[in-house]
Amino acid sequence: MLAIVLRTLIVSGAATALAVTVGVPIGYAIGRRRFRGRTPLLGAVNTGMGMPPVVVGLIVWLLLVRSGPFGDLGLIYTQTAMVIAQFLIATPIVVGFTAASIQALPSRLPDLLTVLGAGRLQTLWLLAREARLGVLAAVMAAFGAIVSEVGAAMIVGGNLERSTRVLTTAMVTETSRGEIERALGLGLVLLVLSFTVNLSLTILQQRSRS
Amino acid sequence: MALGVESLRVLRGGRLVLDVPSLELRERRTTAILGPNGSGKTTLLRVLAGLEPAGEGRVHLGGAAVAGPRDLAYVFQEIVFLRQSVRDNLGLGLRLRGVSREETWRRIEHAVALLGVAHLLDRRADRLSGGEARRVSLARALCLRARLVLLDEPLAGLDEQAYTQLVDELPQVLAAFDATTLLVSHRCDEALRLAEDLVVMIDGRVRAAGTTHDVVMNPRTSDVAKVLGYTVLAAGGRRVAVAAGGLQFGPGPLEFLMTVDGVVAVGDRREVTGRIDDTRVRAHAPAIGAGPAPGDRVVVSAGRVVDVV
Repeated sequence: MLAIVLRTLIVSGAATALAVTVGVPIGYAIGRRRFRGRTPLLGAVNTGMGMPPVVVGLIVWLLLVRSGPFGDLGLIYTQTAMVIAQFLIATPIVVGFTAASIQALPSRLPDLLTVLGAGRLQTLWLLAREARLGVLAAVMAAFGAIVSEVGAAMIVGGNLERSTRVLTTAMVTETSRGEIERALGLGLVLLVLSFTVNLSLTILQQRSRS
Repeated sequence: MALGVESLRVLRGGRLVLDVPSLELRERRTTAILGPNGSGKTTLLRVLAGLEPAGEGRVHLGGAAVAGPRDLAYVFQEIVFLRQSVRDNLGLGLRLRGVSREETWRRIEHAVALLGVAHLLDRRADRLSGGEARRVSLARALCLRARLVLLDEPLAGLDEQAYTQLVDELPQVLAAFDATTLLVSHRCDEALRLAEDLVVMIDGRVRAAGTTHDVVMNPRTSDVAKVLGYTVLAAGGRRVAVAAGGLQFGPGPLEFLMTVDGVVAVGDRREVTGRIDDTRVRAHAPAIGAGPAPGDRVVVSAGRVVDVV
Protein backbone atom coordinates (compact mmCIF):
# COMPACT_ATOMS: atom_id res chain seq x y z
CA MET A 1 0.00 0.00 0.00
CA LEU A 2 2.76 2.46 1.00
CA ALA A 3 4.62 1.69 -2.23
CA ILE A 4 1.50 2.48 -4.25
CA VAL A 5 0.98 5.76 -2.40
CA LEU A 6 4.62 6.75 -2.92
CA ARG A 7 4.43 5.79 -6.61
CA THR A 8 1.27 7.87 -7.03
CA LEU A 9 2.96 10.87 -5.42
CA ILE A 10 6.12 10.49 -7.50
CA VAL A 11 4.33 10.09 -10.86
CA SER A 12 1.72 12.80 -10.35
CA GLY A 13 4.18 15.10 -8.53
CA ALA A 14 6.73 14.86 -11.37
CA ALA A 15 4.04 15.43 -14.01
CA THR A 16 2.73 18.50 -12.09
CA ALA A 17 6.24 19.94 -11.67
CA LEU A 18 6.94 19.54 -15.38
CA ALA A 19 3.56 21.02 -16.33
CA VAL A 20 4.20 24.06 -14.09
CA THR A 21 7.71 24.55 -15.55
CA VAL A 22 6.38 24.53 -19.10
CA GLY A 23 2.84 25.85 -18.54
CA VAL A 24 3.46 28.96 -16.42
CA PRO A 25 5.69 30.76 -19.00
CA ILE A 26 3.29 29.81 -21.81
CA GLY A 27 0.29 30.97 -19.77
CA TYR A 28 2.14 34.20 -18.94
CA ALA A 29 2.86 34.85 -22.64
CA ILE A 30 -0.75 34.17 -23.65
CA GLY A 31 -2.12 36.30 -20.84
CA ARG A 32 0.22 39.21 -21.37
CA ARG A 33 0.99 39.45 -25.07
CA ARG A 34 -1.19 40.12 -28.10
CA PHE A 35 -0.10 38.13 -31.13
CA ARG A 36 -1.62 36.60 -34.24
CA GLY A 37 -3.29 33.29 -33.47
CA ARG A 38 -3.65 34.04 -29.77
CA THR A 39 -7.41 33.46 -29.67
CA PRO A 40 -7.30 30.06 -31.45
CA LEU A 41 -4.42 29.08 -29.14
CA LEU A 42 -6.45 30.08 -26.09
CA GLY A 43 -9.36 28.09 -27.51
CA ALA A 44 -7.10 25.06 -27.92
CA VAL A 45 -5.84 25.45 -24.34
CA ASN A 46 -9.39 25.67 -23.01
CA THR A 47 -10.31 22.56 -25.00
CA GLY A 48 -7.23 20.82 -23.61
CA MET A 49 -8.36 21.65 -20.07
CA GLY A 50 -11.37 19.41 -20.61
CA MET A 51 -9.60 16.70 -22.61
CA PRO A 52 -10.63 13.21 -21.43
CA PRO A 53 -7.55 11.53 -19.87
CA VAL A 54 -8.38 8.28 -21.63
CA VAL A 55 -7.99 10.02 -25.02
CA VAL A 56 -4.60 11.41 -23.97
CA GLY A 57 -3.65 7.94 -22.74
CA LEU A 58 -4.59 6.40 -26.06
CA ILE A 59 -2.57 8.97 -28.05
CA VAL A 60 0.50 8.48 -25.84
CA TRP A 61 0.08 4.69 -26.06
CA LEU A 62 -0.01 4.91 -29.88
CA LEU A 63 3.20 6.96 -29.82
CA LEU A 64 5.10 4.81 -27.30
CA VAL A 65 3.90 1.29 -28.11
CA ARG A 66 6.65 -0.99 -29.52
CA SER A 67 5.41 -0.58 -33.11
CA GLY A 68 4.81 3.20 -32.70
CA PRO A 69 7.10 6.06 -33.77
CA PHE A 70 8.81 6.19 -30.34
CA GLY A 71 8.57 2.46 -29.60
CA ASP A 72 12.35 2.04 -29.68
CA LEU A 73 12.65 4.14 -26.54
CA GLY A 74 11.05 1.32 -24.58
CA LEU A 75 8.97 3.66 -22.46
CA ILE A 76 5.59 1.96 -22.73
CA TYR A 77 4.31 0.52 -19.43
CA THR A 78 6.80 2.54 -17.39
CA GLN A 79 6.38 5.33 -14.89
CA THR A 80 7.98 7.68 -17.45
CA ALA A 81 5.14 6.95 -19.88
CA MET A 82 2.66 7.73 -17.10
CA VAL A 83 4.45 11.03 -16.33
CA ILE A 84 4.33 11.96 -20.04
CA ALA A 85 0.60 11.27 -20.28
CA GLN A 86 -0.21 13.09 -17.05
CA PHE A 87 2.03 15.99 -18.10
CA LEU A 88 -0.06 16.35 -21.28
CA ILE A 89 -3.26 16.34 -19.22
CA ALA A 90 -1.95 18.86 -16.64
CA THR A 91 -0.22 21.37 -18.94
CA PRO A 92 -3.36 22.91 -20.54
CA ILE A 93 -4.82 23.32 -17.05
CA VAL A 94 -1.71 25.16 -15.83
CA VAL A 95 -1.58 27.29 -19.01
CA GLY A 96 -5.29 28.16 -18.82
CA PHE A 97 -5.26 29.11 -15.12
CA THR A 98 -2.03 31.12 -15.45
CA ALA A 99 -3.25 33.02 -18.54
CA ALA A 100 -6.52 33.87 -16.78
CA SER A 101 -4.74 35.09 -13.64
CA ILE A 102 -2.31 37.23 -15.66
CA GLN A 103 -5.21 38.70 -17.65
CA ALA A 104 -7.02 39.52 -14.41
CA LEU A 105 -4.20 41.83 -13.27
CA PRO A 106 -4.83 45.59 -13.64
CA SER A 107 -4.12 46.51 -17.27
CA ARG A 108 -1.89 49.43 -16.28
CA LEU A 109 0.30 47.32 -13.97
CA PRO A 110 3.00 46.57 -16.60
CA ASP A 111 3.12 50.29 -17.49
CA LEU A 112 3.45 51.20 -13.83
CA LEU A 113 6.37 48.80 -13.37
CA THR A 114 8.04 50.22 -16.50
CA VAL A 115 7.81 53.83 -15.33
CA LEU A 116 9.00 52.85 -11.86
CA GLY A 117 12.15 51.59 -13.54
CA ALA A 118 11.67 47.80 -13.77
CA GLY A 119 13.53 46.03 -16.58
CA ARG A 120 11.94 43.31 -18.70
CA LEU A 121 12.88 40.43 -16.36
CA GLN A 122 11.97 42.38 -13.23
CA THR A 123 8.56 43.17 -14.77
CA LEU A 124 8.04 39.48 -15.58
CA TRP A 125 8.94 38.43 -12.05
CA LEU A 126 6.78 41.09 -10.37
CA LEU A 127 3.77 40.25 -12.54
CA ALA A 128 4.16 36.53 -11.84
CA ARG A 129 4.29 37.34 -8.13
CA GLU A 130 1.12 39.40 -8.42
CA ALA A 131 -0.61 36.48 -10.15
CA ARG A 132 0.62 33.93 -7.59
CA LEU A 133 -2.88 33.16 -6.28
CA GLY A 134 -3.91 32.05 -9.75
CA VAL A 135 -0.67 30.14 -10.32
CA LEU A 136 -1.14 28.22 -7.05
CA ALA A 137 -4.72 27.48 -8.09
CA ALA A 138 -3.29 26.13 -11.36
CA VAL A 139 -0.95 23.79 -9.43
CA MET A 140 -3.83 22.53 -7.28
CA ALA A 141 -6.17 21.99 -10.23
CA ALA A 142 -3.48 20.22 -12.26
CA PHE A 143 -2.41 17.91 -9.42
CA GLY A 144 -6.03 17.19 -8.54
CA ALA A 145 -6.86 16.30 -12.13
CA ILE A 146 -3.98 13.86 -12.67
CA VAL A 147 -3.81 12.21 -9.27
CA SER A 148 -7.43 11.16 -9.67
CA GLU A 149 -7.38 10.09 -13.33
CA VAL A 150 -7.37 6.41 -14.18
CA GLY A 151 -7.70 6.09 -17.96
CA ALA A 152 -4.30 7.34 -19.08
CA ALA A 153 -2.45 5.70 -16.18
CA MET A 154 -4.05 2.37 -17.00
CA ILE A 155 -3.43 2.53 -20.78
CA VAL A 156 0.19 3.72 -20.81
CA GLY A 157 1.25 2.27 -17.43
CA GLY A 158 -0.38 -1.09 -17.84
CA ASN A 159 -1.18 -1.31 -14.09
CA LEU A 160 1.87 -3.53 -13.44
CA GLU A 161 1.81 -4.52 -9.77
CA ARG A 162 5.35 -3.65 -8.76
CA SER A 163 6.15 -0.80 -11.12
CA THR A 164 3.20 1.18 -12.52
CA ARG A 165 0.25 0.49 -10.24
CA VAL A 166 -1.00 3.72 -8.65
CA LEU A 167 -3.92 4.37 -6.33
CA THR A 168 -6.56 4.79 -9.05
CA THR A 169 -5.54 1.74 -11.10
CA ALA A 170 -5.20 -0.31 -7.91
CA MET A 171 -8.81 0.61 -7.06
CA VAL A 172 -9.95 -0.67 -10.46
CA THR A 173 -8.07 -3.94 -9.92
CA GLU A 174 -9.46 -4.49 -6.41
CA THR A 175 -13.02 -3.69 -7.58
CA SER A 176 -12.76 -6.16 -10.47
CA ARG A 177 -11.54 -8.79 -8.00
CA GLY A 178 -14.57 -8.13 -5.82
CA GLU A 179 -12.38 -6.70 -3.02
CA ILE A 180 -14.73 -3.78 -2.45
CA GLU A 181 -13.50 -2.98 1.07
CA ARG A 182 -9.89 -2.79 -0.16
CA ALA A 183 -10.99 -0.60 -3.08
CA LEU A 184 -12.84 1.70 -0.67
CA GLY A 185 -9.74 1.87 1.56
CA LEU A 186 -7.60 2.89 -1.42
CA GLY A 187 -10.21 5.48 -2.34
CA LEU A 188 -10.06 6.92 1.17
CA VAL A 189 -6.24 7.08 1.00
CA LEU A 190 -6.50 8.86 -2.37
CA LEU A 191 -8.93 11.38 -0.89
CA VAL A 192 -6.69 12.01 2.13
CA LEU A 193 -3.64 12.38 -0.13
CA SER A 194 -5.41 14.79 -2.44
CA PHE A 195 -6.82 16.75 0.52
CA THR A 196 -3.39 17.00 2.22
CA VAL A 197 -1.64 18.30 -0.89
CA ASN A 198 -4.42 20.76 -1.68
CA LEU A 199 -4.67 21.94 1.93
CA SER A 200 -0.92 22.69 1.98
CA LEU A 201 -1.19 24.67 -1.25
CA THR A 202 -4.33 26.45 -0.03
CA ILE A 203 -2.58 27.52 3.19
CA LEU A 204 0.31 28.85 1.08
CA GLN A 205 -2.14 30.62 -1.22
CA GLN A 206 -4.14 32.24 1.56
CA ARG A 207 -1.01 33.29 3.42
CA SER A 208 0.25 35.11 0.34
CA ARG A 209 -3.20 36.67 -0.11
CA SER A 210 -3.21 38.24 3.34
CA MET B 1 14.66 71.23 -16.59
CA ALA B 2 12.61 72.49 -19.52
CA LEU B 3 10.87 69.89 -21.63
CA GLY B 4 10.88 70.31 -25.38
CA VAL B 5 8.88 68.47 -28.00
CA GLU B 6 9.73 68.76 -31.69
CA SER B 7 7.87 67.43 -34.72
CA LEU B 8 6.10 64.76 -32.69
CA ARG B 9 3.70 62.63 -34.71
CA VAL B 10 1.97 59.46 -33.56
CA LEU B 11 -0.04 57.27 -35.93
CA ARG B 12 -2.39 54.58 -34.67
CA GLY B 13 -3.90 52.19 -37.18
CA GLY B 14 -2.96 54.61 -39.96
CA ARG B 15 -4.74 57.50 -38.19
CA LEU B 16 -2.82 60.53 -36.95
CA VAL B 17 -3.64 60.74 -33.22
CA LEU B 18 -0.95 63.19 -32.15
CA ASP B 19 0.65 65.96 -34.16
CA VAL B 20 2.75 68.41 -32.15
CA PRO B 21 5.19 70.37 -34.34
CA SER B 22 6.68 72.20 -31.38
CA LEU B 23 5.99 72.56 -27.68
CA GLU B 24 8.17 73.96 -24.92
CA LEU B 25 7.32 73.45 -21.26
CA ARG B 26 9.08 75.71 -18.88
CA GLU B 27 11.42 74.40 -16.23
CA ARG B 28 10.02 73.66 -12.76
CA ARG B 29 6.58 74.92 -13.65
CA THR B 30 3.28 73.12 -13.75
CA THR B 31 1.67 73.02 -17.16
CA ALA B 32 -1.91 71.82 -17.42
CA ILE B 33 -3.17 70.09 -20.55
CA LEU B 34 -6.87 70.57 -21.18
CA GLY B 35 -8.88 68.99 -23.93
CA PRO B 36 -11.97 66.94 -24.64
CA ASN B 37 -11.92 63.13 -24.55
CA GLY B 38 -9.82 61.65 -27.34
CA SER B 39 -7.84 64.86 -27.88
CA GLY B 40 -4.49 63.12 -27.37
CA LYS B 41 -3.68 64.31 -23.82
CA THR B 42 -2.95 60.87 -22.40
CA THR B 43 -1.21 59.78 -25.60
CA LEU B 44 1.15 62.74 -25.27
CA LEU B 45 1.97 61.75 -21.69
CA ARG B 46 2.51 58.10 -22.65
CA VAL B 47 4.85 59.10 -25.48
CA LEU B 48 6.79 61.40 -23.16
CA ALA B 49 7.09 58.52 -20.68
CA GLY B 50 8.28 56.12 -23.38
CA LEU B 51 5.23 53.87 -22.92
CA GLU B 52 4.18 54.42 -26.51
CA PRO B 53 6.53 54.82 -29.42
CA ALA B 54 6.51 58.12 -31.28
CA GLY B 55 6.43 57.56 -35.02
CA GLU B 56 8.46 60.69 -35.57
CA GLY B 57 9.86 63.51 -33.47
CA ARG B 58 12.07 64.26 -30.58
CA VAL B 59 11.53 64.84 -26.88
CA HIS B 60 14.25 66.43 -24.82
CA LEU B 61 14.63 67.40 -21.20
CA GLY B 62 17.03 70.28 -20.63
CA GLY B 63 18.45 69.82 -24.11
CA ALA B 64 19.24 66.11 -23.69
CA ALA B 65 17.06 63.15 -24.66
CA VAL B 66 14.81 61.83 -21.86
CA ALA B 67 16.83 59.00 -20.30
CA GLY B 68 13.81 56.77 -19.71
CA PRO B 69 11.94 55.99 -16.51
CA ARG B 70 14.74 57.23 -14.27
CA ASP B 71 14.02 60.80 -15.35
CA LEU B 72 10.33 60.75 -14.60
CA ALA B 73 7.45 60.01 -12.28
CA TYR B 74 4.03 59.13 -13.65
CA VAL B 75 0.66 59.14 -11.87
CA PHE B 76 -1.86 57.17 -13.91
CA GLN B 77 -5.51 58.09 -14.20
CA GLU B 78 -6.37 54.52 -13.15
CA ILE B 79 -5.39 53.65 -9.60
CA VAL B 80 -2.87 50.82 -9.76
CA PHE B 81 -0.89 49.18 -6.97
CA LEU B 82 0.82 45.89 -6.29
CA ARG B 83 -0.96 43.64 -3.79
CA GLN B 84 1.44 44.77 -1.09
CA SER B 85 1.54 47.24 1.75
CA VAL B 86 1.56 50.97 1.09
CA ARG B 87 5.14 51.03 2.40
CA ASP B 88 6.28 48.39 -0.11
CA ASN B 89 4.47 50.13 -2.96
CA LEU B 90 6.10 53.45 -2.09
CA GLY B 91 9.52 51.85 -1.86
CA LEU B 92 9.33 49.74 -5.04
CA GLY B 93 10.36 52.46 -7.51
CA LEU B 94 13.24 53.50 -5.27
CA ARG B 95 14.40 49.87 -4.91
CA LEU B 96 14.29 49.44 -8.68
CA ARG B 97 16.33 52.62 -9.08
CA GLY B 98 18.97 51.45 -6.62
CA VAL B 99 18.28 54.02 -3.89
CA SER B 100 19.74 53.05 -0.49
CA ARG B 101 17.44 51.76 2.24
CA GLU B 102 18.05 54.74 4.53
CA GLU B 103 17.37 57.25 1.74
CA THR B 104 14.26 55.29 0.70
CA TRP B 105 12.85 55.49 4.20
CA ARG B 106 13.69 59.22 4.45
CA ARG B 107 11.85 59.95 1.20
CA ILE B 108 8.85 57.80 2.14
CA GLU B 109 8.57 59.56 5.51
CA HIS B 110 8.64 62.96 3.85
CA ALA B 111 6.09 62.00 1.16
CA VAL B 112 3.56 60.36 3.49
CA ALA B 113 3.78 63.28 5.91
CA LEU B 114 3.07 65.77 3.12
CA LEU B 115 0.16 63.76 1.71
CA GLY B 116 -1.23 62.88 5.16
CA VAL B 117 -1.05 59.11 4.65
CA ALA B 118 1.53 58.10 7.28
CA HIS B 119 -1.15 56.10 9.11
CA LEU B 120 -1.70 53.94 6.01
CA LEU B 121 1.86 52.65 5.65
CA ASP B 122 1.08 49.12 6.84
CA ARG B 123 -2.28 48.83 5.04
CA ARG B 124 -2.68 46.85 1.80
CA ALA B 125 -2.44 49.43 -1.00
CA ASP B 126 -4.98 47.66 -3.21
CA ARG B 127 -7.61 47.95 -0.49
CA LEU B 128 -7.50 51.72 0.05
CA SER B 129 -10.45 54.02 -0.54
CA GLY B 130 -10.42 56.22 -3.65
CA GLY B 131 -9.19 59.31 -1.81
CA GLU B 132 -6.50 57.41 0.10
CA ALA B 133 -5.34 55.69 -3.09
CA ARG B 134 -5.03 59.02 -4.92
CA ARG B 135 -2.91 60.40 -2.09
CA VAL B 136 -0.67 57.32 -2.00
CA SER B 137 -0.26 57.48 -5.82
CA LEU B 138 0.96 61.06 -5.48
CA ALA B 139 3.24 60.09 -2.59
CA ARG B 140 4.75 57.30 -4.71
CA ALA B 141 5.53 59.79 -7.47
CA LEU B 142 6.92 62.29 -4.96
CA CYS B 143 9.33 59.71 -3.51
CA LEU B 144 11.03 59.33 -6.89
CA ARG B 145 12.32 62.94 -6.95
CA ALA B 146 12.11 62.95 -10.74
CA ARG B 147 12.99 65.85 -13.02
CA LEU B 148 9.81 65.36 -15.05
CA VAL B 149 6.46 64.59 -13.40
CA LEU B 150 3.49 63.43 -15.46
CA LEU B 151 0.09 63.55 -13.75
CA ASP B 152 -2.81 62.06 -15.71
CA GLU B 153 -5.99 63.33 -14.05
CA PRO B 154 -4.64 62.68 -10.55
CA LEU B 155 -7.95 63.70 -8.95
CA ALA B 156 -10.24 61.66 -11.17
CA GLY B 157 -13.07 59.70 -9.61
CA LEU B 158 -13.07 61.46 -6.21
CA ASP B 159 -16.27 62.49 -4.50
CA GLU B 160 -16.79 66.22 -4.04
CA GLN B 161 -15.52 66.32 -0.45
CA ALA B 162 -12.35 64.32 -1.15
CA TYR B 163 -11.78 66.33 -4.33
CA THR B 164 -12.07 69.69 -2.58
CA GLN B 165 -9.74 68.57 0.19
CA LEU B 166 -7.04 67.21 -2.12
CA VAL B 167 -7.22 70.04 -4.66
CA ASP B 168 -6.61 72.46 -1.78
CA GLU B 169 -3.45 70.57 -0.83
CA LEU B 170 -2.18 69.95 -4.34
CA PRO B 171 -0.32 73.27 -4.85
CA GLN B 172 1.88 72.34 -1.88
CA VAL B 173 2.48 68.87 -3.36
CA LEU B 174 3.33 70.32 -6.77
CA ALA B 175 5.79 72.68 -5.12
CA ALA B 176 7.39 69.71 -3.34
CA PHE B 177 7.87 67.92 -6.68
CA ASP B 178 10.12 70.84 -7.67
CA ALA B 179 10.06 69.47 -11.23
CA THR B 180 8.78 70.24 -14.69
CA THR B 181 5.24 68.97 -14.22
CA LEU B 182 2.56 68.13 -16.76
CA LEU B 183 -0.97 67.86 -15.41
CA VAL B 184 -3.71 66.41 -17.59
CA SER B 185 -7.12 67.64 -16.56
CA HIS B 186 -10.55 68.14 -18.02
CA ARG B 187 -11.54 70.86 -15.56
CA CYS B 188 -10.68 74.43 -16.39
CA ASP B 189 -11.04 75.54 -12.76
CA GLU B 190 -8.51 72.87 -11.73
CA ALA B 191 -6.02 74.10 -14.33
CA LEU B 192 -6.52 77.71 -13.28
CA ARG B 193 -5.86 76.82 -9.69
CA LEU B 194 -2.92 74.47 -10.10
CA ALA B 195 -0.99 75.36 -13.23
CA GLU B 196 1.10 78.35 -14.21
CA ASP B 197 0.96 77.40 -17.90
CA LEU B 198 -1.78 75.89 -19.99
CA VAL B 199 -1.95 73.88 -23.20
CA VAL B 200 -5.28 73.21 -24.93
CA MET B 201 -5.38 70.14 -27.16
CA ILE B 202 -8.09 69.26 -29.67
CA ASP B 203 -7.96 66.33 -32.12
CA GLY B 204 -4.34 65.52 -31.30
CA ARG B 205 -3.12 69.04 -31.96
CA VAL B 206 -2.05 71.87 -29.65
CA ARG B 207 -4.59 74.62 -30.25
CA ALA B 208 -3.47 77.08 -27.58
CA ALA B 209 -0.44 77.35 -25.29
CA GLY B 210 0.85 80.01 -22.94
CA THR B 211 0.46 81.16 -19.38
CA THR B 212 -2.81 79.96 -17.88
CA HIS B 213 -4.06 83.54 -17.48
CA ASP B 214 -3.35 84.46 -21.11
CA VAL B 215 -4.93 81.33 -22.56
CA VAL B 216 -8.03 81.55 -20.38
CA MET B 217 -8.56 85.27 -20.88
CA ASN B 218 -7.94 85.19 -24.63
CA PRO B 219 -9.38 82.07 -26.18
CA ARG B 220 -8.60 82.77 -29.80
CA THR B 221 -11.01 80.32 -31.35
CA SER B 222 -14.49 79.19 -30.40
CA ASP B 223 -13.45 75.52 -29.98
CA VAL B 224 -10.69 76.54 -27.53
CA ALA B 225 -13.24 78.71 -25.72
CA LYS B 226 -15.59 75.73 -25.42
CA VAL B 227 -12.82 73.59 -23.92
CA LEU B 228 -12.19 76.38 -21.42
CA GLY B 229 -15.83 76.31 -20.34
CA TYR B 230 -17.15 79.29 -22.23
CA THR B 231 -20.43 79.26 -24.05
CA VAL B 232 -20.11 80.37 -27.63
CA LEU B 233 -22.93 82.67 -28.74
CA ALA B 234 -23.64 84.46 -31.96
CA ALA B 235 -23.88 88.25 -31.74
CA GLY B 236 -23.88 90.79 -34.52
CA GLY B 237 -23.31 87.98 -37.03
CA ARG B 238 -20.13 86.90 -35.22
CA ARG B 239 -19.36 84.12 -32.79
CA VAL B 240 -18.36 85.30 -29.34
CA ALA B 241 -17.34 83.33 -26.26
CA VAL B 242 -19.25 84.25 -23.13
CA ALA B 243 -18.23 83.08 -19.67
CA ALA B 244 -20.81 82.31 -17.00
CA GLY B 245 -19.90 85.62 -15.38
CA GLY B 246 -21.10 87.53 -18.43
CA LEU B 247 -17.57 88.40 -19.58
CA GLN B 248 -17.26 88.28 -23.31
CA PHE B 249 -14.34 87.34 -25.50
CA GLY B 250 -13.82 87.44 -29.19
CA PRO B 251 -13.91 90.35 -31.60
CA GLY B 252 -15.12 93.73 -30.32
CA PRO B 253 -17.35 94.84 -27.43
CA LEU B 254 -20.59 93.23 -28.60
CA GLU B 255 -23.93 93.66 -26.90
CA PHE B 256 -26.31 90.88 -25.88
CA LEU B 257 -29.92 90.98 -24.81
CA MET B 258 -30.42 89.32 -21.42
CA THR B 259 -33.66 88.42 -19.65
CA VAL B 260 -33.21 89.15 -15.94
CA ASP B 261 -34.43 86.64 -13.37
CA GLY B 262 -32.64 87.82 -10.25
CA VAL B 263 -31.04 90.95 -8.77
CA VAL B 264 -28.97 91.00 -5.58
CA ALA B 265 -27.23 94.02 -4.05
CA VAL B 266 -23.53 93.33 -3.42
CA GLY B 267 -21.66 96.27 -1.89
CA ASP B 268 -21.77 99.23 -4.24
CA ARG B 269 -23.25 97.29 -7.15
CA ARG B 270 -25.99 94.90 -8.15
CA GLU B 271 -25.43 91.34 -9.27
CA VAL B 272 -27.84 90.57 -12.09
CA THR B 273 -28.50 87.01 -13.13
CA GLY B 274 -30.43 85.89 -16.15
CA ARG B 275 -30.27 84.24 -19.56
CA ILE B 276 -28.81 85.12 -22.92
CA ASP B 277 -30.55 82.73 -25.31
CA ASP B 278 -30.38 79.50 -23.27
CA THR B 279 -27.16 80.37 -21.49
CA ARG B 280 -27.29 81.34 -17.84
CA VAL B 281 -25.04 84.34 -17.16
CA ARG B 282 -24.27 86.84 -14.45
CA ALA B 283 -23.53 90.50 -14.98
CA HIS B 284 -23.24 93.52 -12.78
CA ALA B 285 -24.87 96.91 -12.70
CA PRO B 286 -24.26 100.05 -10.57
CA ALA B 287 -26.33 100.25 -7.36
CA ILE B 288 -27.47 103.79 -8.11
CA GLY B 289 -30.84 104.42 -9.73
CA ALA B 290 -33.77 102.06 -10.14
CA GLY B 291 -31.75 99.39 -12.00
CA PRO B 292 -33.08 96.27 -13.62
CA ALA B 293 -35.74 94.08 -12.00
CA PRO B 294 -36.67 90.43 -12.57
CA GLY B 295 -38.49 90.06 -15.88
CA ASP B 296 -36.72 93.07 -17.48
CA ARG B 297 -34.76 92.72 -20.69
CA VAL B 298 -31.37 94.38 -20.43
CA VAL B 299 -28.43 94.95 -22.75
CA VAL B 300 -25.19 93.37 -21.49
CA SER B 301 -21.70 94.04 -22.78
CA ALA B 302 -18.46 92.71 -21.33
CA GLY B 303 -20.22 91.57 -18.18
CA ARG B 304 -21.93 94.86 -17.47
CA VAL B 305 -25.58 95.86 -17.83
CA VAL B 306 -25.40 98.88 -20.11
CA ASP B 307 -29.08 99.51 -20.72
CA VAL B 308 -32.53 98.40 -19.68
CA VAL B 309 -34.77 97.84 -22.68
